[in-house]
Order: sequence, then structure tokens, then C-alpha cells
Amino acid sequence: MAIGPEWTEMSELTHASAPKRFIGGQLLGSSQLVLGVILAVLCIAISIAAPQFYSEANIIAILRQCALVLIVASGMTMLIITAEVDLSVGASLAFVGCIGMAVLNSTHSLALGMLAALAFAGGVGLFNGLVVTRLRVNSLIATIGTMMMLQGGVYLFTREAVQNHNQLASFTDLGAGYVGAVPVPVILAALIFVVAYVTLRFTTLGRYLYAVGANEKAVRLSGLRSERLKLFAFVVTGLCVGVAGMILSSLMNAGQPTAGRGFELTVIAAVILGGTSLLGGRGSLFGTLLGVLVLKVIDNGIIILGLNQDLQMVVPGVVIILATYLDIIRNRANVR
Amino acid sequence: MSLASTTSTKAQPSPLARLFARQEVALLVCLVLVLAFFSVTVDNFFSVRNLTNVLGQASLPLIAGIGCAIVFISGEVDISIGSLLATIALPLIIIMNDTNSLLLGIGGALLFGLIIGVVNGYLTAYAGINSLIVTLGTMFIMRGGVYLYTGQRAIPDDASLDSFIALSDGRLFNVLPYSAVIAIVLLAVFAYMMQHRPFGRQIYAVGGNQEVARLAGYDVRRVKFICFIISALLATVAGIILAARVGSAQHTAGLNFEFQVVAATVLGGVSLAGGIGSLTGMALGVLILQFLSNGLRGLGLPTEWQLVITGMIIIAAVALDEAKRRRANGG
Repeated sequence: MAIGPEWTEMSELTHASAPKRFIGGQLLGSSQLVLGVILAVLCIAISIAAPQFYSEANIIAILRQCALVLIVASGMTMLIITAEVDLSVGASLAFVGCIGMAVLNSTHSLALGMLAALAFAGGVGLFNGLVVTRLRVNSLIATIGTMMMLQGGVYLFTREAVQNHNQLASFTDLGAGYVGAVPVPVILAALIFVVAYVTLRFTTLGRYLYAVGANEKAVRLSGLRSERLKLFAFVVTGLCVGVAGMILSSLMNAGQPTAGRGFELTVIAAVILGGTSLLGGRGSLFGTLLGVLVLKVIDNGIIILGLNQDLQMVVPGVVIILATYLDIIRNRANVR
Repeated sequence: MSLASTTSTKAQPSPLARLFARQEVALLVCLVLVLAFFSVTVDNFFSVRNLTNVLGQASLPLIAGIGCAIVFISGEVDISIGSLLATIALPLIIIMNDTNSLLLGIGGALLFGLIIGVVNGYLTAYAGINSLIVTLGTMFIMRGGVYLYTGQRAIPDDASLDSFIALSDGRLFNVLPYSAVIAIVLLAVFAYMMQHRPFGRQIYAVGGNQEVARLAGYDVRRVKFICFIISALLATVAGIILAARVGSAQHTAGLNFEFQVVAATVLGGVSLAGGIGSLTGMALGVLILQFLSNGLRGLGLPTEWQLVITGMIIIAAVALDEAKRRRANGG
């Protein structure tokens, strides 16, 4: 086919499979550095305007808000690195919460409820992954299809919120509990983040995920099963949604079929903001963490400064475009 | 099927098979099957009233779908059209309320749409930002902007101009809704452009292989830039019709509309990879989904089932298409 695309794919592969240059590039002049500066400036600016920003209660509130997005964004980062995307996570989040709550109500067991949620969400991920890897459907379309099926399906499953009948203490703790001063969702998010980070950064599997995204053909020709790697990323994303869905239903004390509207876009925005390329093969979880923090600090700042809350939609839109544009400008400068 | 007989007289190898290998023919067969199935199972489905009603409903995704398909064919995506529908209703309704002039209102809406198209197109084609990110961003910005401006309340159409109301419930010769007439005219014009005008062929060239198009001397950036403007202007037309239909500027107008249009476009065989597909295919995709949901409603299925079935059909259709393409390429 074209000489152009093949050539860029090759150069991306060298980029991904040359760890030394990669780590060096990550420390200096990387998108993380820019994001870190943006985050610092935001924090300083907001706390000057509203000193209560730095109160313990507010910081914990921000972290708790970050937790849900970060959990799903950890899986999504892996997925986007393999050059696929999942738009069904928002619809799945709502469905998972309802199913988990329903199972919890009928079995009185947190373990079974959690298992049902993970099985369902993992199943959705598996379905998405199989459709994309076996049937070769573009993941954007495949997951729009799944999104529609889930949005319709959740209303067929329940027309109103599934109320929490048991009030199990362990389930309430999942969303609202604390270990010391740290909320449980934050601990769960940190755990998932660390596991995903180590996997992507320090294991062969992680390097393969980058390689699949950068040049799938080369990966296949070197004897790896590229489909399985992508399938893995889809299932991991699904499982992350399972955990997030249970936390969300714990926080709301019910399974809401309307929850999660637009959640997929927030997650993808955070991942992209963190410097992960939609073309695959490039990106990092640390960037995603910064992306989530920036978006949520902005959200929080808008509330604390008493601004109109509808700005919570406008500002992230501007930030995504701006951050990507800055990234492009910096890349151009690097090439020269 | 008079087409089939004329082709077979040319005595080429298996002309019928070649005809059926064409995307549009396969889609047409699907559409006929859907129509036949619901005509038998649902009372009053195959009535002039119901069929023209569905055409009227289909006009919004048809009009916006033209732009969506053109942007897809150029190798980019535009998912900001749903938010755009809500955004351009603001200048439309506000100007009409102030001036009592439909033309000024439409002019204001088109100007707004043009600006949005220029922004999307500039950021994608000239600044080089991935179009999914650009239009995701402008989607957020526009929806948030509408919420901010309206305070999440609908702005009613106080002018109630007859000509504006006619856009929603007027019918040509008392049969075909005006919105469907607009859709058909736009479809014809743009289909002609895509197939027979140099610019249309340039769009296919750019989407098919950007590097070759550039080497052939086409201004790739300009082509893409204009595609985004076309898409925004067509979505504006759809937004004007929607505003006429609901009689106000709704802050929630067009929520998820972009997914509906993208789904129909892809079902119609327009590839996300660029360079492949036709407006005829897109139109058939829209009609199949619209008649399907109308028929399912006639069968008494809840709207939720329509979502589920639509989702399954989209996945199945794209999967089949992909399998066919792979077989044609010999693996």
C-alpha cells in the first residue's frame, strides 16, 4: 500500500522497542512534564483564589472522584496502547451496578455480588474483544454497538433503580469506607493502577502490548498472537469496569440504570490527555494518572470557586484539544 | 429487479453474483426484506401515511449522514454533530424571536454551523490533531456551552412563523414531508458531487491513500478542511428541522445523535478507514434502521429492544462486510 503509513509504523515500533530512549524521553520534555506543570499551576491558582482547596476534606473528595475514573482509565490505557478503544464502558458501568446490586440483594453475599459484577463486565470485555479480533470489526463501531445493546438491555433488566435491601456494612464500605484517612475506593484504584503500571512497564506482556499497538503485522510475523494480546486488553478493561461499577453502586446505595452517561468520554479524555496516542503503541499509565488528576482538579475548582457547574463540560473539551495540540507542536520541534 | 436482467444480457461471468456483491444491492435487498416482513406482521405498516412518516423521521439522520459519510470517506471522523444540533438551534430561535424572520434565523444558524465546521476542519486538517479528539472536544465544548447559555432550560419559539412550522409538519402535495424532500434533494446533489465532480473524486482519493493523493497534486489539507465544513453545515440543516419539530431550542437536543448517524453510515458500508463507501449506501443504512425501529414499535416491542437489536445488527453487518472483503482479497 502506501509508503508513508508503513514508514511511520516502523518508526513507531523502533520508538516503542527502544527502552533506553523511551525512559530518557519520558523524563525530559515529555507530555507528562507539561501535564505536571499544568496540574501544579491549577492547584496553586485555585488555592490562592479559594484556600479551602487545600483542606483535608477537599483533597479526599478529589481523590475519591478520581478513583472511579482512574480504575477504568487504567484498563483503557492498555487498550488504547494496543490501538483499540472501548466506548461501551459507560453503559456497562450502569448495567454492572444493577446486576451486582440485584445479586447482592438475593444472595446477601458481597463476594457473590462482586463476582457477578466482574463476570458480567469481564464478559462484556470478552465479547467486545472477540468481535474486534475474530470478526475484525473496527473497535469504535463494535463498542458503539455494544453500548446500544447495554443501554437497551439495562432497561429491559430493570426500569428503575435497584435499591440496596441488605445494607451490608462491607458493601457500604466499598464506596464510603475509610482505611485510616484514605477512602477505600482510592486504595482500590491505587492497587489497580500499580498492578497495571508494573504490567505495562516492567513485564514482557506490557512490552508486547506496546508492540501490538505500534505494528501489529510485525508482532504477528515475529510469532506472537496479536489477537490474544488485544483480547487481554479488552477483558482487563471490562474487569476494571466491574470494580468501578460496584463502587459506584455502593456510593449511590443503589444500582442506577441511568448512571455512567458520558463516563466513557471522560475516561477516554483522561487517557488521551495523559499523552496516550489513539493510533496505538505510545502512552503511559503515569500520564493517565496525571490526566485524571487534571480533569478532576478542574471539576473541583469549578465547584469550589462557585462557578457555573456546566463549565465542567466546556473546560475539559478545551483542555483535551489544547493538550493534544501542544503535544504535536513539541513532537514537530523534536523532529527538527 | 430490471437491473439484473439488463446486466445479464451482456454475458459476462456470473453477472448476477457480481451485482449482488455490490454493497448497495445487498443493502437494498435487506431493506426490501425489512419492509416485506413488517408489511405482513404489522397492520398499517405499508400505508402511505406510515411510510412517509418514517421518511420524515429519517430525514435528520439522512441529512447529517451525508456529512458524516463524506468526512468518513475523507478518512476522518466527526462526532460533534449531535452537540451541533443543540448549538445552532440557539441562534436560530433567538434571532427568529427577535426579528420574526425565518431567513435571518436560518442565516444565523448556518453562520454558526460554518464557524464550527471551520474550527473542526482547521484543527484537524491544518493543526494536525486527530479528528476523533478534535470533535470529541468540540462536542463537550458545544454541549457545555448550550447548558451554560440556557441554564438547562428550553428556549421556546415565540415567533411561531408559519413557514418555520411548515418545516416540521408541512407536506409536499400533502404527501411527502418537506423535511424528507430537503433530505432527498441534498442527497441527490451530494451523491452527484461525490461520484461525478472532481472534488468528490478528490475526497475518495484523499481517504483512499493520502500520500498518493498528495503526490498526485491534490491539496489534502484543503479537501479535509472543506469536508468538515460540509459536515457542519449539513448537521446545521438537520438541527433547523429538529428545532422546527420540537418548536424550541432544547439543551438536550441531539444527545447520542452522533452515534445513531455513525452506526447507520457504517451499516451503509462507508468504511472508517476512508476511501470506501457511497452516499447511496449510507442512505440505505439509515432507511433500514429507521424502518426497523418503526416496525418493531408497531410490533409492540419496547424502545429498549430497538436499541438492543440495532446494536446487534450494526455489529453483524460490519462483521459480514469485513468477512466478504477478506474473502474478496483472498484471505
